Amino acid sequence: MLGQAVLPALTQRQSLLFCQRSFGIVTLPSTHLLIQTVILGMLVGGVYALMSSGLTLIFGVMRVINVAHGAFLILGAYCTYWLFQIAGLDPLISIALTAPVLFLLGWLVQRYVLSRLDNPERSSVLITFALAITMEGLMGTFWKTTLRSVKPEYASQVIEFATYRFPVTRLIGFSAAILVLLMLYIILQRTNLGRAIRATIQDRNAAQLVGVNVQAVSAMTFGIGIATAAAGGSLLSMIYSFNASSQTDWITRILSVIVLGGMGSLPGALVAALILGMMEQLTAVVVTLYWSPIVFYLFLFLTLIFRPQGLMGEITREKA
Amino acid sequence: MMRLLLSNRIWLPLGLAILLAYPLVQRSQYYQHVMIMTMMAAVLSSSWNIIGGYAGYTSLGHAAFFGLGGYLVALAHNHFDWHPFISTWFLAVIVMTVALILGWISLRTHGSAFVVVTIAMVFIFRLVALNLSSITNGARGLTQPRPGWGDVQWSPDFIKVPFHYMMLVLLCLTIFASWRIRQSKFGLGLIAIREDEGKAEAVGINTMLYKVLAFGFSAYFMGVAGGIYSYFFTYIDPQFIFDVFTGVTMVLIAILGGRGTLWGPVLGAFIMEPLGNWVIGTFGGTQIHLAVFGGILLVVMLFMPQGILPTISNVVKQREKARVANAVSQ
Repeated sequence: MLGQAVLPALTQRQSLLFCQRSFGIVTLPSTHLLIQTVILGMLVGGVYALMSSGLTLIFGVMRVINVAHGAFLILGAYCTYWLFQIAGLDPLISIALTAPVLFLLGWLVQRYVLSRLDNPERSSVLITFALAITMEGLMGTFWKTTLRSVKPEYASQVIEFATYRFPVTRLIGFSAAILVLLMLYIILQRTNLGRAIRATIQDRNAAQLVGVNVQAVSAMTFGIGIATAAAGGSLLSMIYSFNASSQTDWITRILSVIVLGGMGSLPGALVAALILGMMEQLTAVVVTLYWSPIVFYLFLFLTLIFRPQGLMGEITREKA
Repeated sequence: MMRLLLSNRIWLPLGLAILLAYPLVQRSQYYQHVMIMTMMAAVLSSSWNIIGGYAGYTSLGHAAFFGLGGYLVALAHNHFDWHPFISTWFLAVIVMTVALILGWISLRTHGSAFVVVTIAMVFIFRLVALNLSSITNGARGLTQPRPGWGDVQWSPDFIKVPFHYMMLVLLCLTIFASWRIRQSKFGLGLIAIREDEGKAEAVGINTMLYKVLAFGFSAYFMGVAGGIYSYFFTYIDPQFIFDVFTGVTMVLIAILGGRGTLWGPVLGAFIMEPLGNWVIGTFGGTQIHLAVFGGILLVVMLFMPQGILPTISNVVKQREKARVANAVSQ
């Protein structure tokens, strides 16, 4: 059943109506609201998972931490916005156009910038950060600082199922995220490129010895990783409003996701994204909306005390 | 000749003399402002260098300590009427304590994970400052009384001069501390950690203690600088002072000049900060200055990854070698 235009997520006021008791700033929600919140958290987490999948894949293959990932997300979002404004193209369809463009961009960055570094593990963070602020500056100059978002007709619709609400955009976001992750999984498990990528993740030198062209694999992986940012950006443009400087906020979130999940682990990123998405939504309901992002980072901090390698990361003796 | 040109015996007194005389000679408010900001950038970058350069732990989150210092000083000024020029030195000890605790947690991670954790740190501080509005006044920020001493407010023509000398004192102290650390066994331990943490531990260095202490020391000067800064602007707000970009700027300045060297961060600051001001002055406050800044850094990191100072000293060493070889062959 498609409901009419209602707010996509529960607002603070609405959520208070569902609440049973409150203790100071902590409010105990009713079971119904709790389940509703968990559902929303899962949906948000799915989108986070999609956004961070490319980042963790890139790290796994070439030990490069791509700080420019957030900027690529925003670039994807702007391309979607542009296509929507000019050609009226649906954000989901425009992924088919933006993904190849971003793939090419990522390929070029790896081929001509990152491959020149002697010690990618040490210097990649800063060089990709420089890339990120360059991109932010260029996008900010080109598209100005107005907050944008893409609102197709279904943007404000909500599907109601067994008295629980599913905002359509988030549902689409979640399904698209699952779809892209599934595609990534198939590429990694079933194709020759995937086998080469996994071999490179396991042991770079050994992969080279058995005839894997590590340079080419790296460039392909970087391209694929950035292409997922195109999909992520297109979903971002529907669910959130953005401008060029939102990239810092996003890169911090998705970096937290992959650190929590264990750097380089795809399943780890998925689990961490779902956990963080839910934590964020739960805090928004139980405490206040304003404190929700903080829980995200605090949870990351606390986890690292007990598991410095992240939830699913392997303990490697990485040089600092 | 070359050796003399590179020695501190010339540069140190010369630089100090120029900086001492600067506000007396240069009466333009704008250029006085630029110089204060430049020295502050040098302070931030040099103190970052203690953990980021010597120990090799790239923290992008030092803006957190900068901002914390700023907030503490502003609060103490407004509530207890403590003069920032004095209180900032004591309140920075609190900043250092916080840094020791946060360092103890975050320094368990290595490499890239550490970078991410430190970025998260800035966001935590910013969100706390935004949300604890009963203390921090939330997004509206904190305002301080106009700079002065006692009941006397400094006149607008003179207002930047005390800040200039305050920042100069801080700069000298920071460089001195950085130099002492570099010379000490502690500094050698940090460099050992940078080169190979596992081996450093194997030869008996308490790596965790060393790293956490280095983190704390670098946060101390950050805190002092933040305190002076908040009084200089008499206004701070969370978005502005807890900015990841501040943290990145100090890192990039250190890298430009030469990470892990004593004078590299200072040199980098004296290049980047005036340049940045020039770009903003020429192109206006648009985001194009971000693009220019990022572009310069991309070029530097690709073609001069070690930074300016190490590159120069390599060239000098090469020449020296060639000269000696020549002399021997003749």
